[in-house]
Amino acid sequence: MQRFTELVVAAVLLAGLYATMAYGLGLIYGVLRVVNLNHGGIIMAGAYIGWLLHEKFGIDPYLSIPVVVAVSFVLGIAIYRGLVRHLPRGPAGAVQSLLLLFGVWLVLRNAAYLLFTGNDQTIRTEYSTRSLAAFGLAVSVNRVAVFGIAVLTLVVLHLFLTRTFTGKAIRAVAQNADSCTLVGVDVERIYSLTFGIGTALAGLAGLLGASLFSFNPSYGSGDLLKSFVIVVLGGLGSVMGTAVAALILALVEVFAILALPAYLTGAVGFVLLVLVLVLRPGGLFGQRVLG
Amino acid sequence: MNAAMLEVRDLSLAYGDVQVLFGVSLRVDEGEIVTLLGSNGAGKTTTLRAISGLRPPRGGEVLFSGQSLLAVPASKRAEMGIALVPEGRELWPLLTVRENLELGAYTRSARARSAANLEKVFRLFPRLRERHAQMAGSLSGGEQQMCAIGRALMSEPRLLMLDEPSLGLAPILVDQVFDIVRTLHQQGITILLVEQNLQKALEVARRGYVIETGSVKLSGTSADLLADPAIRSAYLGL
Ligand SMILES: Nc1ncnc2c1ncn2[C@@H]1O[C@H](COP(=O)(O)OP(=O)(O)O)[C@@H](O)[C@H]1O
Ligand SMILES: [Mg+2]
Repeated sequence: MQRFTELVVAAVLLAGLYATMAYGLGLIYGVLRVVNLNHGGIIMAGAYIGWLLHEKFGIDPYLSIPVVVAVSFVLGIAIYRGLVRHLPRGPAGAVQSLLLLFGVWLVLRNAAYLLFTGNDQTIRTEYSTRSLAAFGLAVSVNRVAVFGIAVLTLVVLHLFLTRTFTGKAIRAVAQNADSCTLVGVDVERIYSLTFGIGTALAGLAGLLGASLFSFNPSYGSGDLLKSFVIVVLGGLGSVMGTAVAALILALVEVFAILALPAYLTGAVGFVLLVLVLVLRPGGLFGQRVLG
Repeated sequence: MNAAMLEVRDLSLAYGDVQVLFGVSLRVDEGEIVTLLGSNGAGKTTTLRAISGLRPPRGGEVLFSGQSLLAVPASKRAEMGIALVPEGRELWPLLTVRENLELGAYTRSARARSAANLEKVFRLFPRLRERHAQMAGSLSGGEQQMCAIGRALMSEPRLLMLDEPSLGLAPILVDQVFDIVRTLHQQGITILLVEQNLQKALEVARRGYVIETGSVKLSGTSADLLADPAIRSAYLGL
């Protein structure tokens, strides 16, 4: 029973991080209909920016959140304005944007190999190994902090999308872009903003992940695939759907450790993805677009 | 002599390689209701999309209050006073009725008077007030049309273009839509109405244009058009 509770707590804490990174991918797809294959590249970049700030200037990874978010937001806007915007919209541009963003990812990854070598890195702080004891369970301080920041991020994002004029315009563009143009929304501006927000979420997720796990320039590819699984499971745009799907994936992964040899646990996400696609092709929560 | 509010000159437009407008010309004077008629596929919707900027024309000119619109981005035309109620409503189905209306007042000038205009729309369409918290996608066809008209009104248009607002509605609702068009006109809004319901459209409009395969074939006052033998046989089945 004790072990069971521990695993559930571990899964819940992990789900916060998963939801944050998946929401970034889902938001961009929901509004622009572009699969951001560079998601993993930005996750990796977020990890290295946090690592650099910590190594060079001794900045605590949690204090570098604003920097990482701002840098990846600007990077996202630059990638949108410089590259993605020039591709044809809709199905015609789908393959092109996949290739293009995959290319950007390769460039980022190779730049990281060049700059930082392929060695595994970690962000080690004095509280890295500390844990909290509550209800007879010991949980890592870092994991609790990551969970708290992820939940806060998702709540803020939800409020932004549902309560502000710009947030509503983002959801409206996802549902019918021409009608937005007709009422005076500069749809290109919304696309660019959305790409920036989605990219910033990836950067944040990378930084948060880096405070839990070791990473190297290939870091982010596994997370891209996990984000896919969550988006397919949870549908587009609903924060709740994303959170539930993230929890499902985290639970499956965590409990797979009990049943499967270590080298197979990474594959459980795919098994889940295939099962969902076969049994419920529309995702568990249907195809709502940023409702 | 009234000033032309909208003037379309020799407008041509193509979707890819397929040209669908071949020199459409029409004008709408300040304070008029003008109707644009024609059968399915004639190019009515395309003409409105070009006027509102959703689709760039291949040639020709669109003037609004004497100013050329061709260099004005589509998203800036609402601010100038141009609104379109698109064919098929085109609401945001997963936003509430209220959110649909509030986003209608997206432009800076309209946003300042959003609350007052929302109240006006609710008075015009009490039904929308009742359903304000409901998803727009869950409304009936008639209610969706009201919501689409309400959304356009929220931008305080000087020129309101309506694309087949009566399409797919029950006869009693069709009458209601035409009544609303009359009411809005009395409130001082200039109207360009696209319809396939010729009889009803020519009853409310002062003048009309008949468009066929991408160019204007006939134009005149409503009385003239109603009396035209070609129209009577082709469109009214008389
Ligand atoms: N998005 C589009 N792509 C290609 N052809 C189109 C498109 N929209 C309309 N058309 C074609 O343009 C012509 C005019 O269409 P439209 O303006 O919608 O006519 P109407 O509104 O009078 O029924 C039709 O032949 C239609 O098939
Ligand atoms: Mg049409």
